[in-house]
Amino acid sequence: MAEELIPVVCPYCGVGCRLYIRVVDGYPVGIEYATDIPGISNEKGKLCPKGNAVIEYLLAKDRLKKPLKAKEQGKFVEISWSEAIKEVAERLKTYAKDDPNQLMFFGSARTFNEPNYLIQKLARMLGTNNVDHCARLCHAPTVSGLKQVFGAGAMTNTYKDIEEADVIFIIGHNYAETHPVGFRYVLKAKERGAKVIVADPRFTRTAWFADIFLQHYPGTDIALINGLIHVIIKEKLYDAKFVRERCVGFDEVVKAVEKFTPEYVEKITGVPADLIVEAARTFATAGKGVITWAMGLTQHTHGHDNVRLLGTLSAICGYQGKEGCGCAPMRGQNNVQGACDMAALPNVFPGYQAVTNPEKRKFFEEFWGVELNGEVGLTVIEAAHAIDEGKVKAYYIMGENPVISDANANHVIKALQKLEFMVVQDIVPTPTMEFADIVLPAAAMLENEGSLTNTERRVQWSFPAVKPPGEARPDWWILSEVGKAVGFDRDGSKGFRYNEAADVLREINACTPQYRGITPERLKANLAGIHWPCPSPDHPGTRFLYKDRFLTPDGKAHLAAVDYRGPVELPDEEYPFILTTMRYVGMYHTLTMTGRSEALVKRWKEPLAEIHPDDAAKLGIRTVDWIKIETRRGVYPIRAKVTRAVKKGVIAVPWHWAANVLTNDALDPVAKIPETKACACRVAKISEEEAKKLMEKLPQIIPRIEVVKG
Amino acid sequence: MARKTIFIDFSKCIECRACEVACEREHNGMSFINVFEWQEMAAMALNCRHCEAAPCVEVCPTNALYRDEDGAVILAPQRCIGCLMCGIVCPFGIPELDLINKIMGKCDLCAHRRKEGKEPACAATCPTDALIFGDFDEIQRRRREKFTEKAIEVAKKAEKISLLGV
Ligand code: SF4
Ligand code: SF4
Ligand code: SF4
Repeated sequence: MAEELIPVVCPYCGVGCRLYIRVVDGYPVGIEYATDIPGISNEKGKLCPKGNAVIEYLLAKDRLKKPLKAKEQGKFVEISWSEAIKEVAERLKTYAKDDPNQLMFFGSARTFNEPNYLIQKLARMLGTNNVDHCARLCHAPTVSGLKQVFGAGAMTNTYKDIEEADVIFIIGHNYAETHPVGFRYVLKAKERGAKVIVADPRFTRTAWFADIFLQHYPGTDIALINGLIHVIIKEKLYDAKFVRERCVGFDEVVKAVEKFTPEYVEKITGVPADLIVEAARTFATAGKGVITWAMGLTQHTHGHDNVRLLGTLSAICGYQGKEGCGCAPMRGQNNVQGACDMAALPNVFPGYQAVTNPEKRKFFEEFWGVELNGEVGLTVIEAAHAIDEGKVKAYYIMGENPVISDANANHVIKALQKLEFMVVQDIVPTPTMEFADIVLPAAAMLENEGSLTNTERRVQWSFPAVKPPGEARPDWWILSEVGKAVGFDRDGSKGFRYNEAADVLREINACTPQYRGITPERLKANLAGIHWPCPSPDHPGTRFLYKDRFLTPDGKAHLAAVDYRGPVELPDEEYPFILTTMRYVGMYHTLTMTGRSEALVKRWKEPLAEIHPDDAAKLGIRTVDWIKIETRRGVYPIRAKVTRAVKKGVIAVPWHWAANVLTNDALDPVAKIPETKACACRVAKISEEEAKKLMEKLPQIIPRIEVVKG
Repeated sequence: MARKTIFIDFSKCIECRACEVACEREHNGMSFINVFEWQEMAAMALNCRHCEAAPCVEVCPTNALYRDEDGAVILAPQRCIGCLMCGIVCPFGIPELDLINKIMGKCDLCAHRRKEGKEPACAATCPTDALIFGDFDEIQRRRREKFTEKAIEVAKKAEKISLLGV
């Protein structure tokens, strides 16, 4: 058999790198770098370690191959697809008849646009807006915050603009480790002479490349950004013309930041006052500036305000609507932008059209041919609380692992145990599956085709490279079968009859203004993809947003005046340290994929908690000693790494290995994101035996699913 | 003869270890490039330098080590007896013992990829261009060029410096 090269999109992060899978007869034998496709997000086909190891997890021995039905918790029997679909459809129908809001659906940033469109269509046609996905846990504040300031919740620019910027302000974003290929453009800009400002509680790999490094305490972002704005306004370094012509709310900002003098900000953040002044001057006077951020900024109870302030900072400097400028929230998953665009969100229809808007609702009522619910649905974390109250009784989870990914994991586990019915659709056993009633085996991304939207709003088509194992099926197929079995069996947009993923994208084209011209035919012919908004089939796509006007109703940027709020849980006598979470370059989220990849596991074996040498000395802790970290919500055993990368009083742990048993699920009032990036904790040295004992109580990262005979 | 090799720009390495993962994939589970972390943060990738006067080639009793047309120092497995001498004399500690095949293993600059006109995997993947594959003198010339470009850029920006002097 001859070898074939199939173009796919890396199934990991939001950079959305292109690569080829080398395939012989449906079996993956290797990868090749996409050096020959111009204009892709990963220039010259560059890949990070995860991209290099993509085929390993496909071949994992424990891939799910048959639909399963639980006999008791965690014990399953194999069933046929027709039995599985029938059971799921019937249960969904029963709950929907009673009260559709008893149902909760999870879309997924880990799968294509098409299934995300379908899962929200299914939820909404059943009568509920209870549909959400893991963007809630990462970039919900970006979506809500940017929408308020500029009118749309997406990156305003592209990587090209980062490359062309003269100053890059990176905050709460370990760019070099979380998006290594995207970081390439920062280094290219730096080589040209651009200045790099990094603000992070940890001295990260990214900070290593900073011209100015601001090490603030976790959760003090509002003070820091207000401090920068204070200096810029006081020294009249802002773009007065841009502020006059294109912004509203400047006077309120002036008032709000008045007290945030560099000295005051130093007291809150621990960043020296003169560095704040230097950073503000460097940023405002560069001429072309980009701000990038990620989880370090958003995962706070004030994440929404953090984002609004960054929008404000960028706007007052006039860094919007032109090349080499903009706001670049860096998405963690290769389709988190797409899942948001497709409205796997409780408050909007596809293309961010509010469910509360009667006109938009009418459009979709005609489009889908059913009456629709106009009430905003539940978010991920709210749903877990609604289970406690007996309001939500059934979950349909597609490609998510809330037991590891959600804050305060112990509460999530208790909630899941209370559910009456839970469907989990995934590629491998996850700790969440333990509580499932029905398990549906899905084809992995590289075994499947469809469109994906990367962090730059770039929509790309990924082709199926490998045969799925056993009876695993594509997500779009599973949802279309469930939809038909539920009774939505009409043709066209009013039902769930699809022959291929491209059919679904055509329906998306018809109802999502930003995607109107992004047809499957165009995507398949143009491997570099198209940046939305793309309003017609002959439109080339849009590199940066807001050239002439913002997308707010009045076309202006709405600047944010925000007073300081820190983390809700601050260190005290009982819990004297601030805990923050981080990740490793070679590991990915809840480890369902990277944890099954030998080359990665070998290099990133286990988590290490970072602790400052002075704190470590006081507690008698040395590198590789076992310690236990305790918060009001949980205990976590981990080895220590003594390093000056963190400030005194701060502990940093990678969250991949179930560290969310510790984190706080207090929510941002607007974005509803839990504050996983800052809470109070205490630390003590423990013996290896004690660590082992504590370990047994943690959710298993790579669980075994027990299949018993019928 | 132009010698193509891997230039390591230490200032750009982000310790992502993509090079290791790529090398390992191309060489049946053995990675011949390694990334080290220093002083908590600085990182440095190191692979065989394919030395001009390579002590490993000199010392090899069976002539298993030789130089190919690109100038890469290559190990011929059928001639290697696993005596470890090359590993002992290499100042960087590069050749390793491949216990399964009972011979030495070392970086071959991805001979199989070069044959198809491709770059070695580590350089092809390195996200930051910390690894560059090419003719060494050519790479040096480009670096000089970049340096002068930057110097002039700086001079232009600083008001007090007159370009006449540059
Ligand atoms: S940077 Fe992101 S998209 Fe690119 S190879 Fe790495 S994980 Fe994949
Ligand atoms: S791939 Fe490049 S940046 Fe990454 S570790 Fe290797 S040399 Fe360093
Ligand atoms: S193995 Fe060592 S001595 Fe031989 S060429 Fe490589 S670096 Fe030089």
